[in-house]
Amino acid sequence: MRNNLSRWIYWVVGLVILAIYPQVVGIYYTNVFVGFAIFALYAVTLNLLLGYMGVLSFGHAMFFGVGAYSTALALTHIQGFPLLPALLVGGLAGAMLALILSPLLVRVSGTAFAMLTLAFGQLIFVLALKYREVTGGEDGVGGYPTPSFNIPGVVSIDMTDQINFYYFAVAVIIVCLWVLWFYTKTPFGSLVVGVRDNAMRIDYLGFKLSHTKAVNLIVSGCFAGIAGAIYALFQNLVSTLGVLDIGTSFAPILMAYIGGLGSFFGPIVGSGILHLLEDVTFRITEQIELVNGLVFILVVLYAPMGIVGLLRQAKAKWFHKEKVS
Amino acid sequence: MSPTTAMYVAQAIHGLAYGMLLFLVASGLTIIFGMMGILNLAHASFFMLSGYFCYTIITLTGDFWLALLIAPVGAGICGLLVERFLLRKVHVQGHLAELLLTVGLMLVILEVVKAGWGTESMMIKMPNGLDGLISVANMTYPVYRLFVIGLSLVVLGIMALILYKTRLGMIVRAAVSDADMVSALGINTPLVFMVVFGFGTWLAGVAGVVAAPLLTVFPGMADQIGMDAFVVVVVGGFGSLIGAFVVALFLGELNAYGIQFIPRLAPVLMFAFMAIVLAFKPMGFFGERE
Repeated sequence: MRNNLSRWIYWVVGLVILAIYPQVVGIYYTNVFVGFAIFALYAVTLNLLLGYMGVLSFGHAMFFGVGAYSTALALTHIQGFPLLPALLVGGLAGAMLALILSPLLVRVSGTAFAMLTLAFGQLIFVLALKYREVTGGEDGVGGYPTPSFNIPGVVSIDMTDQINFYYFAVAVIIVCLWVLWFYTKTPFGSLVVGVRDNAMRIDYLGFKLSHTKAVNLIVSGCFAGIAGAIYALFQNLVSTLGVLDIGTSFAPILMAYIGGLGSFFGPIVGSGILHLLEDVTFRITEQIELVNGLVFILVVLYAPMGIVGLLRQAKAKWFHKEKVS
Repeated sequence: MSPTTAMYVAQAIHGLAYGMLLFLVASGLTIIFGMMGILNLAHASFFMLSGYFCYTIITLTGDFWLALLIAPVGAGICGLLVERFLLRKVHVQGHLAELLLTVGLMLVILEVVKAGWGTESMMIKMPNGLDGLISVANMTYPVYRLFVIGLSLVVLGIMALILYKTRLGMIVRAAVSDADMVSALGINTPLVFMVVFGFGTWLAGVAGVVAAPLLTVFPGMADQIGMDAFVVVVVGGFGSLIGAFVVALFLGELNAYGIQFIPRLAPVLMFAFMAIVLAFKPMGFFGERE
């Protein structure tokens, strides 16, 4: 009961902080936060594969990028395309891509999975770069209208206002994260973890191995697509180098690893740390990638369980007695 | 020879030259993977690093041959240090950690190079005597590319001799098939790992210097060959030198004719090829394990 109450208090405090955040910190950090939240969702979808299913996706940007491009193209070419369908289009595109690739991807694991996703990621990157008449090549798709949040007869909120967009994006991302959190707690979520730990056993228990993997892939792809769609709405510009390149594939891996693979919230923490770090680094030097690379090496060397893992270790150490009793 | 045939032959030799370069890079990658289980994503970075070493040596001394001798050794030493002080420490944490470490390394090397040498591409002059054209049977061909093929064959020969005729080669081959067993027989496998890693990066370094006059030296010079080398290793089968050789030559030709006939889709062909092969043979053509 007490536990339940404190959980409610956490939720309320968290939401209040999120609500007053843009009023306190100003427009610049509001936008930084939206960027962080988008990548937090994106990194969580990667962790669905890496942490929960035990396969490394080296081309996760394809889901993110395809989602972003679909939303951007839908908004460019269809007059008056509404806001929520724009998000759904992104999610659907990511899911469709995962569905198309799943017959191949479920057959492999380990390094072969990483390489196969890398291959498809590069494939889509190069295609987007070459087919300029659809994707705009390196220049990308930009300048499309941002629709308002419209419930006919009730409310119409202008999404070009950055504060409004902050509330919208954060709300959508929290809902998505909550759905994903719930998803990992379902029996099916446990099944996915079972595939990671001992695939053969899951097979012998009579579950369909390939179907389980495929469904998890599609869920991951779908939400990565939604993250991409929010990104498209947020930036009002989608270009190959921003959403499909290999850096976009590495970023969530770094976030998930820094935060800690073993936990649902690790990637969110990782995204936060990286965005803070990026903000600080930008004041000193232009070389973001150098800092990222060094952080990568240091984390692998000294904190293999990630920040969340470190915290858990510290907690176990300091509150050792309480734990044992 | 009619012009059309001449063009086909020229493209074939082009493809052969690229395939041989690709093999130099991929062979190191595949031996390292076979022995240590590390897919070294930073491998192509050593290729680039060596290109920059070559540039610096040439601006200092003006001698291409000196650069060809020293620059790969520099890259190899960097490789040795990386293995000794970084990779060995994370070996216990499993393959994922090692893979991610090499990703970090790749980013760091790229940025260090950008900071040290700048981002513009720098020309490297072909050495005297190799910069001309050779004319055989009514077709002309640049000598330098033939030199690339010849040098790669020499390196390949030396490598085959070491691998199949010496004690070290025997140990390496044994370690590729079962490193634990070799270690149990009393051989200092960490030392062997280090030497092989250094040797693999040296090979990438040789390729980097040889490719420098063709590609010019710039931070992205290893992008294509690095990706292609992964395709080679994956498709040829992890740890298989023969597989790497066959697939490297095949990809070289695929690339050359791809650029000739469908320039727009040429970069996609590689990945499409890899995807198809992996879908049906997850272990690659000559691989014995995943």
